[in-house]
Amino acid sequence: MIGRDGLAGLACLALSLALFAASRGLPQPALVPIGPAFYPRILFAVTALLSAALVAADLRRRERPGLPPFRHRLVLLTFAVFGGYVLLLPVLGYRVATFLFVAALQVGLEPAATRRWWQVAAVAFLTTMVSYLVFERYLAVLLPRGRLTGF
Amino acid sequence: MLAPLAGSLGEILQPQYLLPLGVGTLAGLVGGALPGVTITMTIIIVLPFTFGLDPLAGLAAMVGVYVGGESGGLVTASLLGIPGTPSAVATTFDGFPMARRGEPGRAVWLGTWASFLGGILGAVFLVAATVPLARFALQFGPWEYFSLFVFALSMVAGLTEQSLLKGFLSGAIGLVVTVIGADPIMAVPRFTFGSEFLRGGFQFLPVLIGIFAFAQIMSDLERIGEGRRPAEVGTPSLAVSHAAVVWDILRRPFLLLWSTAIGLLIGVLPAIGGSAANVMAYDQAKKFSRHPEKFGTGIPEGIIASEASNNANVAGSLVTIMAFGIPGDAVTAVMLGAMIIHGIQPGPLFMTQQPRIAYGIFAAYLLAHPVMMVLQWLLSRVYLRIVQVPRAVLVPNILVLCVIGAYALNNVMENVYALLLFGVLGYLLVKFGFPLAPLILGVILGDQIEVNLVRSLMTDGDPWLFVTRPISGAMLGLSVLSVVLALWQHRRQYRAAGPAGRAAEPDF
Repeated sequence: MIGRDGLAGLACLALSLALFAASRGLPQPALVPIGPAFYPRILFAVTALLSAALVAADLRRRERPGLPPFRHRLVLLTFAVFGGYVLLLPVLGYRVATFLFVAALQVGLEPAATRRWWQVAAVAFLTTMVSYLVFERYLAVLLPRGRLTGF
Repeated sequence: MLAPLAGSLGEILQPQYLLPLGVGTLAGLVGGALPGVTITMTIIIVLPFTFGLDPLAGLAAMVGVYVGGESGGLVTASLLGIPGTPSAVATTFDGFPMARRGEPGRAVWLGTWASFLGGILGAVFLVAATVPLARFALQFGPWEYFSLFVFALSMVAGLTEQSLLKGFLSGAIGLVVTVIGADPIMAVPRFTFGSEFLRGGFQFLPVLIGIFAFAQIMSDLERIGEGRRPAEVGTPSLAVSHAAVVWDILRRPFLLLWSTAIGLLIGVLPAIGGSAANVMAYDQAKKFSRHPEKFGTGIPEGIIASEASNNANVAGSLVTIMAFGIPGDAVTAVMLGAMIIHGIQPGPLFMTQQPRIAYGIFAAYLLAHPVMMVLQWLLSRVYLRIVQVPRAVLVPNILVLCVIGAYALNNVMENVYALLLFGVLGYLLVKFGFPLAPLILGVILGDQIEVNLVRSLMTDGDPWLFVTRPISGAMLGLSVLSVVLALWQHRRQYRAAGPAGRAAEPDF
């Protein structure tokens, strides 16, 4: 059975070979001896060699670390809520999307027994408004506007 | 040299610079004290606040974070036995036993004063060494730069505590990220797969923020998922005789100077941070001690060595970034990104082309130390309470600031998408046991490695020049030496601890 390092090595090997193949489509200028594919090809070759060495080292080992244990409910939840936030930002705008994101992630991370809804709403509201006022008004950083909301 | 420094000290003392410096130092102290929030994370959080500021004010805030962060870690290390940052790990060994023995004030203030003195000694080196090193770097042609960057990358990859192969592969992945987009010589689009956004390549800061912030937050959330909760904190009295504490340090001048020198050296070497400096200084202090068996029981030497070295390490890192344009660690990598946003390019010409900014950084570094002392004196018991902010409140706030930091670079959502993409990649790499420092250095140096390689070969097609030019050859020789040394060290560790012996904690 292949171990954790072997799998990582195979993924890197596949990526570097695919990119090496893609570099064949890059143009070779007539006047200059070194084209845009010169350095990437060296790099992909080195990456492929290192990846292959990682696979080989993994196969040679008697005790291989397996895949990391799966106990990542909070991690998956955070990535999912953050992914939703990133998608909603240009649709709802910074203020609405940030309020929803901060509230949703708090609900996800805080155990139900200790969760207080007024606190969730207050933290979401304060985070949104304080960050908006500081960045937009004081630091002149333009935050995303929503296609649906117009602000 | 001293006249412009005096002028810059006067400038930084003005409210528009002193306030960001103070706020940055406070943020660093709190972030450094928070277990699970490193200095890198704190500087990422502070970054978007600096976009709207004058470049020098923004950099002063960042220097404040750096200095404050190195000192903030010692509070939780001493009082809770949990290092707030990796650079305070060795402080725990003697700080916590001393605090448990009933001397919490002595433990915290020994660390704080050692940080102060180590930092000030580091400042002397920073001011004295940057200009000569920058002058030396002016002799570099593309061959030397290429070899220097290869040396930096090979050293960082070789010094990772995990698999050597993974260290190199991580650096190579970082370099691969930089070949996406227009090529730096002829602007031909490469590997963009038809995306307009990718034509410009990935911006460095969203990549760095994504990789570090997510890798760290998610690792922290995993620990919470396992049921490990932050420790409850009391607020013990930190009252102490400062004269006695300072004398405790000054009557060990060799320890202070040697620990500072180690911190500086580690800082100057590219991309090795305070996490290595404090452990190495602690180890050296133990080796030179007449009573090594007492280390770990709560003696002042352990605290002094660790804290003097990690603050001096900041000065070393600043020397490298200002003289060579290479970040000394992840924190200076973010600073480098911030400088580039403001149109400032650190490197050999930095001191002559941007003297106001350069001496301003010196002055900010010098003044950050007294500011840190004042804040530590006023607020250390208060921010010991702040470290108990629930993760459910902290995590969404950090992520919102990461989004602002990425978005505000060019006001485009694509940078936020890149943040998420590299957040996932960073987390996966940590889960698969890859070190992150070589990856980041690869992303930072990738373009420059390519530009200098191509430029040197276009100037003269003879590849042997990389070896026969003295400085370039020496750098490549050092690269080979660092790899050989790393191989030897890994083999020795492997034999001593066995295949499962090495801890695979992610490096932040």
